[in-house]
Amino acid sequence: MGKPTDLLQGTLDMLILKTLALGPMHGWGISQRIQQVSEDVLVINQGSLYPALYRLEQQGLIKSEWGSSDNNRQAKFYELTRTGKKQLSEETENWTRLSAAVDRILQTS
Amino acid sequence: MLGKLIGQMRALLQKDKVERDMDKELRFHLEMEIEGNVKRGMSPAEARRQALMSFGGIEKFKEECREVRGAPFIDSLLQDIRYGVRILVRNPGFTVVAVLTLGLGIGANTAIFSVIYGVLMRPLPYKDGNQLVIVQQQAPLAHILNVPFSVKEVQDYRDQNQTLDSVVEHHSMSFTLLGGKEPQRVATGVVSANFFDVLGVKPLLGRTFVDADEQHGSDAVIVLSYQYWKQSHGGDPDIVGRIFQMNNRPHTVIGVLPPIPQYPIEQDVYMPTSQCPTRSSEQFISNRNARMMSVFGRLKAGIPVSQSQADLSTLASNLQQQYPDSYPTNRGYAANVVSLQEELTRRAKPTFLILLGTAGLVLLIACANVANLTLARLMRREREMAIRSSLGAGRGRLVRQLLTESTLLSFAGGVLGLALAAGGMQLLVRFAARFTTRSNEIKIDGFVLLFTLGISVVTGLIFGLMPAFSSEKNMTGALKEGGGRTSAGVKRQRVRNLLIVAQVGVSFILLIWAGLMVRSLIKLQQVNPGFDPERVLAMRISPNWSKYNTTQETIDLLQRILDKARSEPGVLSAALGSTYPLNQLGINNGPFNRGFQIENRPVPEGELQPQADFRTASTDYFETVRQPLVRGRTFADSDKDKAPLVAVINQSTARHRWGDDDPIGRRISFDRGQTWLTIVGIVGDVRQYGLDKDPADEIYIPLAQGGFGGNLLVRTALDPMSISKLMRDAVYEVDSDTAVDRVQTLEQVRSDAVASPRLTAILLGMFAGLALLITAAGIAGVMALSVNQRTHELGVRLALGASPGKILRMVMTQGMFFVMIGLTAGLAGALLLGRLMSALLYAVAPTDPITFVAVGAVLLGVAAAACFIPARRVTSIDPMLALRSE
Repeated sequence: MGKPTDLLQGTLDMLILKTLALGPMHGWGISQRIQQVSEDVLVINQGSLYPALYRLEQQGLIKSEWGSSDNNRQAKFYELTRTGKKQLSEETENWTRLSAAVDRILQTS
Repeated sequence: MLGKLIGQMRALLQKDKVERDMDKELRFHLEMEIEGNVKRGMSPAEARRQALMSFGGIEKFKEECREVRGAPFIDSLLQDIRYGVRILVRNPGFTVVAVLTLGLGIGANTAIFSVIYGVLMRPLPYKDGNQLVIVQQQAPLAHILNVPFSVKEVQDYRDQNQTLDSVVEHHSMSFTLLGGKEPQRVATGVVSANFFDVLGVKPLLGRTFVDADEQHGSDAVIVLSYQYWKQSHGGDPDIVGRIFQMNNRPHTVIGVLPPIPQYPIEQDVYMPTSQCPTRSSEQFISNRNARMMSVFGRLKAGIPVSQSQADLSTLASNLQQQYPDSYPTNRGYAANVVSLQEELTRRAKPTFLILLGTAGLVLLIACANVANLTLARLMRREREMAIRSSLGAGRGRLVRQLLTESTLLSFAGGVLGLALAAGGMQLLVRFAARFTTRSNEIKIDGFVLLFTLGISVVTGLIFGLMPAFSSEKNMTGALKEGGGRTSAGVKRQRVRNLLIVAQVGVSFILLIWAGLMVRSLIKLQQVNPGFDPERVLAMRISPNWSKYNTTQETIDLLQRILDKARSEPGVLSAALGSTYPLNQLGINNGPFNRGFQIENRPVPEGELQPQADFRTASTDYFETVRQPLVRGRTFADSDKDKAPLVAVINQSTARHRWGDDDPIGRRISFDRGQTWLTIVGIVGDVRQYGLDKDPADEIYIPLAQGGFGGNLLVRTALDPMSISKLMRDAVYEVDSDTAVDRVQTLEQVRSDAVASPRLTAILLGMFAGLALLITAAGIAGVMALSVNQRTHELGVRLALGASPGKILRMVMTQGMFFVMIGLTAGLAGALLLGRLMSALLYAVAPTDPITFVAVGAVLLGVAAAACFIPARRVTSIDPMLALRSE
C-alpha cells in the first residue's frame, strides 16, 4: 500500500468530477459510466467509489440529493458544485500537462 | 474548516440518519448491480453472489466511508470513553481505589485552595480594594511599629499628603446601648464620615454617614452592621429611625450595612467621630500627643504604594522638625504605608502556604500511586494492547485510550474531591478565622471549581502519560512472550520502583512537617503559663459610663459588684482586673506599655524610659488566677484611695530593672515624679499574650487606687460555666444598666490560645497520614505484583534448595532497598525544606533529631509491613506449581 493509492485516488476523484460534469448522477451510474466510457479498462471498485464520493462531498466539490432513479427507485444523486467545477478544470489541466510530459519521455527513449 | 466541523457535528448528531442513508445508498447500488447481472443472463442467485463478491467486505468499506464522512476524532473519542467506562466498571477494585485516592488528593487541594483563594488572592470586597492602604506611625528606635494617631496628626496627614485620594480615621470603642431587651455592650466603630464611601460600601437600608453628621453639635446617629441588626433586632425592617440611648444621649439609627466582611474588625454599630465622648472633647482634639486612632486611605489612581511611602516619609520628617517635643529623636519617627490586603493576610500566609504545599505533595503521591496501579494493570493488559495494535490501532490511538481512562478516573476523583472539600468547608472557615478576618469570604465559587477542573485534568495527564509512554513500541513482541517479562515489563518495573522511591521521599517530608508541628504543639501545651486556669470564669462588665462621673464612683460600683459576686454560693474567690492571661482582646492589642521612672535613677535626656505592661488588679486577683506571690505581699483592702500608693511587679521586671537588688520598698512613678508608688510585692511571670510569647515586664496597681478593671474573674468549686447565669444576675442586681459579655472559662481561653497551632497540626497530621497510607498501599501493590511475576523464578530457587525464609528475606531486602533510597531522598528534602516550617514552630528546631528518628522509624515500620504482607506469599509457593505456572 502507500504511494500508488494516492495517485489512483487523485485520479479517481478527477474521473468522478469529470463524469458528474455531464449532469447529476447516482453512485452506480457513475461507476457504470466510467466503465463504459473507458471501454472496460477502468473498473471502479465500490469500495473506493463511495469513500471517494463522501470525501468529495466533505470537501464541498460535489453535493448530493435524494431523487428517483430511471426505474423509479430512491437513489442518491451527486452533482458538481461551483468549486467542484473549478477543481475539475484545474485537475484536467494538470493531468493533460502531466500525461503529455510522460508521453514525451516514453517516446524519446 | 468551520463547515467541516459543522458537518462532523451533524454527522455526530444525526448518526442514525447518516447510517441509514449510507445503507440505503449501498443497497441501491447492490440492487442495480444484481439487475445488471441478471440482464447479462445470470440466474438471480448467481447475480446476487457476483454482486456481493464485487462489493468485497461491505462492513469494512462502510467503516471507510464513515471515517471519511463522519467525525473520526469525536467519534473515536466517544468510543474511547465508552470503552474506558466499560473497562473501569469491570475492574471495580482498581477503580474504587484510584478514585478514592485521587478524590482525597484533589479534595485536599480544592479545600486548601479555596481558603488560599478566598483569603490571599481574592480582591478585597471593597471598591478597588487594591488601592486601599493602611497608614501607620512608627517609633522605630523604641521598636514600636504601630503608634496610634492623634486628631492633629490625622489632620496633618489628610492635608499634607500628595498621594492619597482620601484619608479615613477610625477607632473602636464599646458603649452600652440602652432601649433593647437588656443593656447591651456594643462594639462600636467610631469613624470619619467618609469611612463607608472610601470603602465603597452602600447601605442595605437607609443611608451611611455624610459630612454633616460629623459636625460638632449635630444630632447623634448610628449605622448598624448587618449581623448585629439580624441577631439583636431580628432584622427589623423598620429599624431606621429608631432611637437608642447611648452615652446618655439619644442616637437615631440612620442605616443598616449590607452583609459584607467588615474592616478592620466586625463591629455592631458605627458612629461619626463627633459622637465619641473621648474623641470629641476639646482637650483631646487639641492635644497632638493624645493618640488613639487608626488611619487608612485610598491611593490616587495610578500611584504605587512605594510612591505614597516616599510621600508620607517626607511628611513625617517635616512633622518631626515642626514638633520636636511630640516626636523625640530617641524614639525615632516614621510613617509606614502598607497595602490593606497584605496587612489583613500577613499572619495567615505562612501557615496557608505550608498547607497548600502539603496538599500538593499529597496529590503528587496520589498520582504516583494511581500511576503505579495503572502500570500494574497495563502489564496484565499487555496482550489486549498487542491484539488491538495488531488489529490496526496506532500507537497514538492506544496512548489516547489510556489517557482517556486516566482522565475519566481523575474526573471522578475531582467530583469526589469537590464533595469532600465542600463537606470540610465549615471546619476550614473556622480554622482560617484564627488567622485572618477574611475567613468569611471562603467559599467554593467558579474560580475554585475551575481550579478543581484544572488539577483534575493535569492529574489525569500526569498519571496517565507515565504508564502510556512506558508501553512498548513494538507490540508484536508482547504477543509472543508472556506479559510481564517483555523488555517493556522490565522498564515498567523500573518506573514503578522509581515511583515508590518518590512516594517514600515525599511522605517522609510530610511526616516530618506534621511531626515537627506536633512536637511544637506538645511543647506549647507543656509550657507553664504561670497561672491556673482550672475552674475560673471570666466575664467582661461594662458600666453605663454616663451614670458614673468620677473614678471613685466607678470604683465604688466595681467594689459593690465584687462584694456581691463573692457572696454567691459556690464562689471561692472573685476579682477584677484590667485584663486576664491569654485574653483574646489582650492578645490582639498587645501589652499596654507605659513608660515609668525609678526613684533615684533619673533617665538622661534623650533616652527612653523603662517600659512595662500596665495592669490593674483587685485584692484577690492573684489568688483567683493563682499567679504565685514570690516575695512581699499582694494588694490588701487597706490599699485604698487615700492610703500610700503601692504597686506589685512581676519577676521579669524585677530581674530587668533591679537585677540582684531587692525591689521591695523601692518607688516608681508613671507621671515623671509627681506621684510615687511603693513596690510591695513580686509575683510570678505569666505568659499573658500567648503561650509561645515570653513573659513581658508587668506592673500592677490596685483597683482601689484609681485603676479600672472591667473583667470579673470568679474561682469556683463547681463547673465554672454553671454559675455564669448566677454571676450575670448578680451584676444586674447591683446595676441593671451594666452590660455583661465575653463570658468564658479560663480553660476555654487557654485552649483557644493553642487552637491555631493545634488545628494546623491536625491538618498537617491528616495530610501526612493520608500520604503514609497511600504510600504503604503503593509499596504493597508493587511488592505483590513483583512477587506474582517472579513466581516462576522463585519456584526455581525453591526447587534448587533455597529455604522459604531465605527467599522471603531476599524479596524483602529488594523491596526495602527502594524504600531506603526514598527515605534518604526524603531526609535530604526534609533538611532542605525544614526552613519553610520554622515560622510555625515553637521551641523545636526544623532539624529536631527526635522528630526525624521517630518519623523515620514509623515510616520504616509501615513500609516493612507493607512489604511483608505481599512478600509472605513467597513462603507458600509450591515449586512444582510455580514451575508449571507458565
